Amino acid sequence: MAKRVIIVDDSRAVIATAELALETLIESGVIEFKSYLNPLELLGALQAGSENFDMLISDVNMPEMNGLDLARAIKSDERYKTKPIIVLTTESSESMKMSGKEIGVTGWMVKPFNDEKLVKSIKMVLGV
Amino acid sequence: MEDLRLLIVDDVEDNRLVLNAICRKMEGFEIKEAVDGIDAIAVCEAWHPHIILMDVMMPNMDGFEASKVIKARFPETIIIVVTAVIDPQMEAHMAAIGVSAYLHKPINKELIRFKLQNFGAFLRSKDGIHTKLSAKEALNPFSSDVRHFKTIFDISDAEGMMDFGVWVLSRCEERKSRSSSKVDPMIELFYELMRQGTRNEEHVSIIIEESFEEIFMTMKLDKPIVLNPKMQELADDLQSHCIIRQNFACVRLNNGRDDLNPTPSVDVIEKAPSSKKEELEKKLPEVVEPTAVVLPLSEIVADKEVRTIDQNEQGMLRQSFIDKTSAVDYVQEIGGDVLDEIRDLESLDEEWIEKIHALEEEPNIENIRSFADGVLGVYVRAINNLFEFTALAYALSSLGTFMKEHADAIINDPKKLKMLVMLTEHLGSDLTSWREHIFSLQDAADIHYLDSSFFSSCMQIEQIVGNKEIETDEDNDMEFF
Repeated sequence: MAKRVIIVDDSRAVIATAELALETLIESGVIEFKSYLNPLELLGALQAGSENFDMLISDVNMPEMNGLDLARAIKSDERYKTKPIIVLTTESSESMKMSGKEIGVTGWMVKPFNDEKLVKSIKMVLGV
Repeated sequence: MEDLRLLIVDDVEDNRLVLNAICRKMEGFEIKEAVDGIDAIAVCEAWHPHIILMDVMMPNMDGFEASKVIKARFPETIIIVVTAVIDPQMEAHMAAIGVSAYLHKPINKELIRFKLQNFGAFLRSKDGIHTKLSAKEALNPFSSDVRHFKTIFDISDAEGMMDFGVWVLSRCEERKSRSSSKVDPMIELFYELMRQGTRNEEHVSIIIEESFEEIFMTMKLDKPIVLNPKMQELADDLQSHCIIRQNFACVRLNNGRDDLNPTPSVDVIEKAPSSKKEELEKKLPEVVEPTAVVLPLSEIVADKEVRTIDQNEQGMLRQSFIDKTSAVDYVQEIGGDVLDEIRDLESLDEEWIEKIHALEEEPNIENIRSFADGVLGVYVRAINNLFEFTALAYALSSLGTFMKEHADAIINDPKKLKMLVMLTEHLGSDLTSWREHIFSLQDAADIHYLDSSFFSSCMQIEQIVGNKEIETDEDNDMEFF
C-alpha cells in the first residue's frame, strides 16, 4: 500500500520541485503525495482526523506558522507522536537543528536539495 | 523621543568611569551603572534599559550568565559586551544567546560611540517605541555590520558621478581616512558602469553603507552587468575590494587602516570628476559591444555543468532568522511611496503569465528576453528599492540571466521548456502570495520568510532545467537525529 507523504511549504515552487524529485516514487505507487501551502490548514485537518500521513516533510519559515511549532503541535498529539517528520529548509543553524531534535524531528535536510539524496532519505525513513 | 536608557555594567570602577565619560558626551542617553551581573539584573527589572554595555569577568555573577537572564526576561534589550577576554567560543555563546556586539578592551571610544549611535538610531527610528532589533540586511556582500541608514545617489549623468566623487573624498577626509589607490579605479569602474546603464536607459544608483572600519559603495543597475575588457581590468585592479554580481558592483574602502599606497586626495579631486565629465561627453554616443555577462568569478572558470554556490550566495541562502521583523512593523516603517510601487506590481502578475505562456507557445529568444527583462527585470528593480530583500532580487536576476544563457536548450528541448514554464508559473504565484503576506494582509511574522527559499527554488530550477549539479561547501545529505 502506498505510503502517504505530505509536504508543507508556503512556496508552490518548492512543492513542485519536490514533486518532480519524487516523481518515480509517486508513479510507481510507492508513495502518494499530498501538499499543503498553509501549515495551519494541515494542522487543522490532522486534529480533525480528516488527514493522516506516514511521513511529513516540513519547511521552517512560513508566514502563518513556523514549521518547528507545527512539528511540536503534531508531536504532542498521541495519534502522530511516532510518525516521522523531516525538515526541508534553508535554515542550517545548529540552534535551529537542536530545537528540531528536541521536538523529535527525524531528520534535517537543507535546500536547495539534491533530488537523489532526497529520494534516498525518504526511502530510508519509510523503509521502502 | 525620550532619552535611551543605557546601563554600564563593570566591576572595576575605573572602567565604569571611562565608559561613562565616553557615553556622556553623546546626546540622547540616560546612563546608570551596575557593579556585577546580579546588580545588572536588578537594575533591568526596575529601569528597563534599552542598551547595556556589559563586562564579562565579574564577581557574584559574570556577564554571560547575566546576559542570559536579561535576554530571557527582556529579549529586546540590546547587549553590547565589552571585555578584555579574547575567546571565540565565548563570543559564539554570547551570539547564541542574542548579544548584539562583542567589543574587545582596551576600550576604543570611537567604536563604542559608533555602536551606540548605530543601535540608538535604529531604536529612535521607531519613533520612540522600544522595539526589537531587526536583522537589517546589508546590501553590500562584504559586511552586515553597517549603520542602519544608507546614503543614496541617483546617477543619471556625469553630474551625478561628480556629486558622488566629491562625497567620497570629503567622507574619507571626515573619517580621517587616507584615500587609497582604490578610489581612482573605483570611480573609473563606476563611471564605465554608469555609461552602460545610461546607454540602456537603466536606473543607476549608488548606495553607500558604512561600518566602523570601512565604507561600502554599491552601484546598482536594472539589468545584469556586462563586463567589457576595461571594466575587467579595473575590477582586477581592485582585487578583493570589489565584488561584481549580476546587476551590482560593490567596492569597499578601508577607513584609515589602509595598507595600500595612498593617493593624495587633492589629486583625485582635481582630476576625477572634471576629466570624467569631459570623457563622458566625448564618449557617450559610442556603442561598446558587450563581451560577457558577469557571473560570480567562480562560475566563469568552473565547469559549466556545475552550479557553484559562492560565499555570497551561501550567505543569502543561510541567513539567520533569529531576529524577526513583522510585516506590520515593516510596512509602517517604509511608508507610502514604496508601498505604491509594490502595489503596482499587481499588474505584472498577468504579464508574468502572459509572457511565460507566449514562451511556451512560441519558444524563441525574443520571448525569453521579453520575460527575463520585461517581467523579471521590473520585479528586480522594484524589490531592490526595498533594500530588505536582496536574496529575492538576486534570485530573480539570476533566473533571468540563466534563461538567457540557456536559451538554446530551453527553446530546443520541449521537456525542459515545459518544466521551466510550470516552475516559473509557481514562482510567480509565490511572489503574489509574498506581496499579500507582507504588504496587503501584513500577517507574516517575519518579512524574510520567503527570501532564502525562493533563492533556493531558483537554483533548483537551474538544476532541473540546466542539468546542473549544485555544488556547495556544505554537506547536503539529510542529517538524522
